[in-house]
Amino acid sequence: MASTMKYVRVPPNSASLAEARQRVFEFFKTACRSIPSIMEIYTLDDVTSPSQLRSVISSEIRKNAHITNPKMDQLQRIEPDVIDMLLFKGTEELCNIVEHSKQRHHILGQYVLNREDRTHDIGNKDQGASDFLKSFYKSNY
Amino acid sequence: MGLGQLASRALFRSTRLASSKPQLLLRRAIVSTPDLHNSGAAAAEAQPEPDLPKRNPVAGARVHFPNPDDVIEVFVDGYPVKIPKGMTVLQACEIAGVDIPRFCYHSRLSIAGNCRMCLVEVEKSPKPVASCAMPALPGKGWSFMKMVGFGMKIKTDTPLAKKAREGVMEFLLMNHPLDCPICDQGGECDLQDQSMAFGSDRGRFTEVKRSVVDKNLGPLVKTVMTRCIQCTRCVRFATEVAGVQDLGMLGRGSGEEIGTYVEKLMTSELSGNVIDICPVGALTSKPFAFKARNWELKGTESIDVTDAVGSNIRIDSRGPEVMRIVPRLNEDINEEWISDKTRFFYDGLKRQRLNDPMIRGADGRFKTVSWRDALAVVAEVIHQVKPEEIVGVAGKLSDAESMMALKDFLNTMGSNNIWCEGNGPNPNADLRSGYIMNTSINGLEKADVFLLVEAAMVNARIRKTVRATSAKVGYVGPPADFNYDHEHLGTGPETLTELSEGRHPFYSALSNAKNPAIIVGAGIFGRNDKDAIFSVVEKIAKNINAVRPDWNGLNVLLLNAAQAAALDLGLVPQSEKSIENAKFLYLMGADDENLDKLPNDAFVVYQGHHGDRGVYRANVILPASAFSEKEGTYANTEGCAQTTVPAVPTVGDARDDWKIIRALSEVAGVRLPYDSLSAIRSRISTVAPNLLNADEREAAAFSTSSLRPEVKEKMDNSAPFGTAVENFYMTDSITRASKIMAQCSASLSKK
Repeated sequence: MASTMKYVRVPPNSASLAEARQRVFEFFKTACRSIPSIMEIYTLDDVTSPSQLRSVISSEIRKNAHITNPKMDQLQRIEPDVIDMLLFKGTEELCNIVEHSKQRHHILGQYVLNREDRTHDIGNKDQGASDFLKSFYKSNY
Repeated sequence: MGLGQLASRALFRSTRLASSKPQLLLRRAIVSTPDLHNSGAAAAEAQPEPDLPKRNPVAGARVHFPNPDDVIEVFVDGYPVKIPKGMTVLQACEIAGVDIPRFCYHSRLSIAGNCRMCLVEVEKSPKPVASCAMPALPGKGWSFMKMVGFGMKIKTDTPLAKKAREGVMEFLLMNHPLDCPICDQGGECDLQDQSMAFGSDRGRFTEVKRSVVDKNLGPLVKTVMTRCIQCTRCVRFATEVAGVQDLGMLGRGSGEEIGTYVEKLMTSELSGNVIDICPVGALTSKPFAFKARNWELKGTESIDVTDAVGSNIRIDSRGPEVMRIVPRLNEDINEEWISDKTRFFYDGLKRQRLNDPMIRGADGRFKTVSWRDALAVVAEVIHQVKPEEIVGVAGKLSDAESMMALKDFLNTMGSNNIWCEGNGPNPNADLRSGYIMNTSINGLEKADVFLLVEAAMVNARIRKTVRATSAKVGYVGPPADFNYDHEHLGTGPETLTELSEGRHPFYSALSNAKNPAIIVGAGIFGRNDKDAIFSVVEKIAKNINAVRPDWNGLNVLLLNAAQAAALDLGLVPQSEKSIENAKFLYLMGADDENLDKLPNDAFVVYQGHHGDRGVYRANVILPASAFSEKEGTYANTEGCAQTTVPAVPTVGDARDDWKIIRALSEVAGVRLPYDSLSAIRSRISTVAPNLLNADEREAAAFSTSSLRPEVKEKMDNSAPFGTAVENFYMTDSITRASKIMAQCSASLSKK
């Protein structure tokens, strides 16, 4: 249905880091454009909103933001390759979601519920706090 | 159901017997003849043959012999089994460990015998007998063969019995639609399981199937009457257990339809149980329609908290969502039934949930903050307030651990103004018998006269007793609709005075009763003349000798799940006027507390899981977990402590209630001494050890009748009793957030 993702046809090697970066942004845009259909397929209207899903997608992409050091090694293609691989996996996941191969509780558990808040400030306020308090601030379990 | 086991057992037994059959037949042919003429040899042969293994009753049931002399011995597949007199063949087979397939028979309903699936072969009977209806006889007497002490020989796995089952199944499936892919009962359907185990492999039906028009039974029960196999379980349930004679069988033959005939909805509170009872997909749950298959769901055994009965439930969840709630068997408390509110309120767990700590800013709007900031703000405020101006209110759905933590925290801060919603401003928690149901819910079955003072639930048990023993019921309170015969004695406290002085005509029935039961509803707690009313009730109890060492008939019926545990832990406020003087109010899930008298500058902290009435006045919101997400101890109205188990993960950034209070105490500098669930439970054991013996009911040691001091107040005779529960379907924060409950209260409330 919506496997009209360009990536399946494009060769898996990006020429340079800039191209890989470009690809990442295009992937992000494609994902955000498919958010309305995702919300309709899984009836997520009363549990989340498009802006929240966008921030979820961006946080997932940012999780791998550390793979961008433009170190030149012997085989100069290594770094963009990793990004290509991650993009491929991301595209695969997006295709699965858009094609309704997943179910509502997968989406809820993986992308909607239990996201760590932005309002957690990393700080210096924890001296003197017991282990209980530290784990309390982190999560319920 | 146990029918997966049944199928495997049937297969197992048939293979086992097939291998040993020739030997048995040979033995029987030789042994039978001398047996008939020699009763001594018969007694010697009555021992089980050595190649038959010991049989356990089905599902580990135990047999109760009411009269040890009246014991019959019958033979089930050659295995002798002792049963009390009056049991049916099907029950005898169950004791012998043989599960016989059935559709219309249900152990808690009357016998119908119309499905014919339970046919078994009985020796010397010309045709197979319906085992659910045939009593197990000691022996058939033939005059010329003296078979003394020879029990009925029941055979469940002979070719005749098998052919009978296959035939019955074929007939049932003839008019049954091919709906399995779209039927909700697929995967847990008795018809599917039994046709796989006992049916033949092919059908011979080539004509057109009949279809039946669907009936509208309300927003809870979805009916597809084409699938109905006319077992009449729902009809019998409605008339016997629920007490409403709504359903009936119309027509005859293949045109039979189950319905209400008049366009009536099922308004009974137990109407959802027909969904469990129906063996096929004719009556299913409307909110659960097409949502999930039963093999996708993970069942978690937990306790219901919407009312004080503490029914045992199983929460079926798929991932992080609760998909449905199904009852569990508990003979003492709820048998196999749960009320509609318990069954269908789960969608309120997904709406209006609080998932982040919030603080109300200067402009009056809430802002999401982190836990650190929220706890820091609360701790700061609580230190600026004098100890006697700190007030804590525990909500209806609070578990014992969180109430213990709240009380400890408030006590370490120097305040004792803490109570539980629904207990009234001045509860009397000294004697346990003053606030629990002293005859347990199970014990109500033994009572023969009831006096209800403004109580509205636990009706099913009372109805069961009234039906079984025609017990008399007298009711004092506003005119209400009960499903059993009752006498409406009056509406106000003056009737109680008449009863205590013996002037009322119902008094004679009360004093002649062997086991009288008085049930006082918890709405009395909210009245000002509560102590006076209690003393009058106790006087009645003393006059009719309701409180004895072996039987304590004076009961209080609580309304909320948290009340009994709160009184056990001692959540009694120091002064009645605490709300007026409060500068810091800690609401732990308390939405129904009257906050009119609260001063405008009071700082309110709301800790709960739903954005219900409590958040409107709150300054800080701390999100907590609901009962389906935490492990909490709840005591029901009879004092039995039970624990819930987490079925789904907590929503958002919420934490468990007691953990929030423990963290707040640490941030405020008065760290409470427990860090884990077991530590807080050991703290509870120092205060109320009965709350830790889960699933055990501890009776109250002393009775209030003799030990309560004399009360000088007079009763307010002008104020008649009002109903404690106006809308049954919307009583607490979760049910008010539920769409299904809203539909029910719009269409099904008895107005």
